[in-house]
Amino acid sequence: MRYAMAIDLDRCTGCHACSVACKVENNLPNGIWWNRVVTVGGQAMDTPEGTFPNLHMQFLPINCQHCENPACVKACPVGATYKREEDGIIIQNYDKCIGCRYCMVACPYSGVRQFNWKKPEYAIEVAMGDAAVEPHQYNVVEKCTFCSHRLAQDMKPACIDTCPNRARFFGDIDDPDSDVSKAIRGRSYFHLLEEKGTKPSIYYLT
Amino acid sequence: MAVQTNTSLEKTPKSGSNTLWNIVFAALAVLGAVCWFYQLSKGLQVTNLGVYNMWGLYIVGFMIFTGIAAGSLLFAAVPYLFKLDAFKPYTRIAAYLGAVSSIVAASLFIIVDIGNPERVWLFVTSGNFTSPMFWDFIMLLSYMVISVIFTRQLMLVNAGKKDEGSVKPIAVIAFIAGLLVTVTSFVFCFQVARPLWNNPVQPLSFLVVALVAALAVQILLAVLLNKRGYIQMPATLLGKMGKLAAAFLLVELIIVVGEVLIGLYPGGGEEQAAFQWLVFGEGAVRFWIELIALVLAIALMFRQGSSGKAGSIVIGAIVALIAIYLIKSNLLQAQLFNPLITYPGPEVYGEARGSYVPSLIEIGLSLGIVSLGALLLNLGLTKLNLGNK
Repeated sequence: MRYAMAIDLDRCTGCHACSVACKVENNLPNGIWWNRVVTVGGQAMDTPEGTFPNLHMQFLPINCQHCENPACVKACPVGATYKREEDGIIIQNYDKCIGCRYCMVACPYSGVRQFNWKKPEYAIEVAMGDAAVEPHQYNVVEKCTFCSHRLAQDMKPACIDTCPNRARFFGDIDDPDSDVSKAIRGRSYFHLLEEKGTKPSIYYLT
Repeated sequence: MAVQTNTSLEKTPKSGSNTLWNIVFAALAVLGAVCWFYQLSKGLQVTNLGVYNMWGLYIVGFMIFTGIAAGSLLFAAVPYLFKLDAFKPYTRIAAYLGAVSSIVAASLFIIVDIGNPERVWLFVTSGNFTSPMFWDFIMLLSYMVISVIFTRQLMLVNAGKKDEGSVKPIAVIAFIAGLLVTVTSFVFCFQVARPLWNNPVQPLSFLVVALVAALAVQILLAVLLNKRGYIQMPATLLGKMGKLAAAFLLVELIIVVGEVLIGLYPGGGEEQAAFQWLVFGEGAVRFWIELIALVLAIALMFRQGSSGKAGSIVIGAIVALIAIYLIKSNLLQAQLFNPLITYPGPEVYGEARGSYVPSLIEIGLSLGIVSLGALLLNLGLTKLNLGNK
């Protein structure tokens, strides 16, 4: 069994709802985004490439790619980041992370791993999201968990359920009847930086 | 053996200035400790590091001092393996420099860089064998053990308590350990995410730079200790060390220029942005200073003859160390500021783009670590018999 996600880029409108859902669900500290929708082409976020009237705008949601051959897991000197045997999710153990940031250096998908440079601060005083989310720590690296706390409760990751355009699909890639397997069937897709050999679990449908 | 003895050691005035230096080094080390406690209380936000340039001055310090340690081991071992008798009297200083000062400094640079230094014991209980950083940890430990044993053996030989031939096995081990400084390069060049580093020239570059760093420090030490009367290294030997350092620097210059030309020539590809940044962009000032420093250091150290004048070689060694700092710093920043995915998105904490200048806390802490290394070196030179006597 291996969890995977498919993101239909033709359906993504760049509304950032998945980013916000992730941020709320996981009670992410200020300045931390596990799931970001970046804009391909423009100089700034949500800006098109090209010159009027020949403009083109393409959104690309990026979170941890939960690679089958993860560079971060090899790099971590103390095994604080590891691949879960049962479902292939890459887990970051906050209690073990020494904060050397080598995993951030090793990960080709710049920015999906983020460091708590200061004590976590939050937009509001009360904690948001699921109570089962592990508390955020100071001086450690964190990243997308595929909402492992929700998976444990038989729910899908928050970004999947929130996407208003149903651009995101999730499930066991080894199961031909899973949402993700059905979503990629007959579609052309790519993986981010496929040539790096990390074998990501995120399928971008085009 | 070309051991020279000195019977006119001027103890009184020199020991006064020595104590003063110890106080200065200790004070700077305390300043470093204060900076570290401040950093621990506020978090790494007090550095100018960020989500892209997650490594900075501390890692550069680590690279340089690991290099000095490795180069010192090689410098201490080579005279016994290749029968260079003239250099043998100075190997104790080199072994000690590698054993204590550089290893302590290199280890501390890693300790202060990590967010949770209290978890460093996990390297022992939970080490990950696939991580080049874990290999580096093993290497640093072995350096410490090897060079302490080596220093002790050399001191025993000097005191006439041991036969010179008996140090050969540990010299062989020290020599191999010194060459293994290439392991430090694996931390960088094994990363597919970093095409600028991900090439086989890095291990060679790390080795060459380690040798130059160690030689430059040994040259500066030799000139200082010659003045102090602690050793009497003839100008011809200093000149040979200078020429050797210059030759190694020339190799590094070829590597640097070669990398840049190979990176820029295709006019595209994944390394292009990093090289553009380095040669023409935000990193250009430091890159061009690096090139000038390299050429200048080579010229100054090659020029050194046997005239007995140390001026040119001292400046050459200092410029070489500046060049080495810039080589390491530029290597790091050119790649970190130019990751493979650069599309704009929601702002993340520490998302500074452009270039990196260390914060005052980083500088103060680094100065403290270097000063602690210098203090340990000076204490070793005073308390242990590492000189000619």
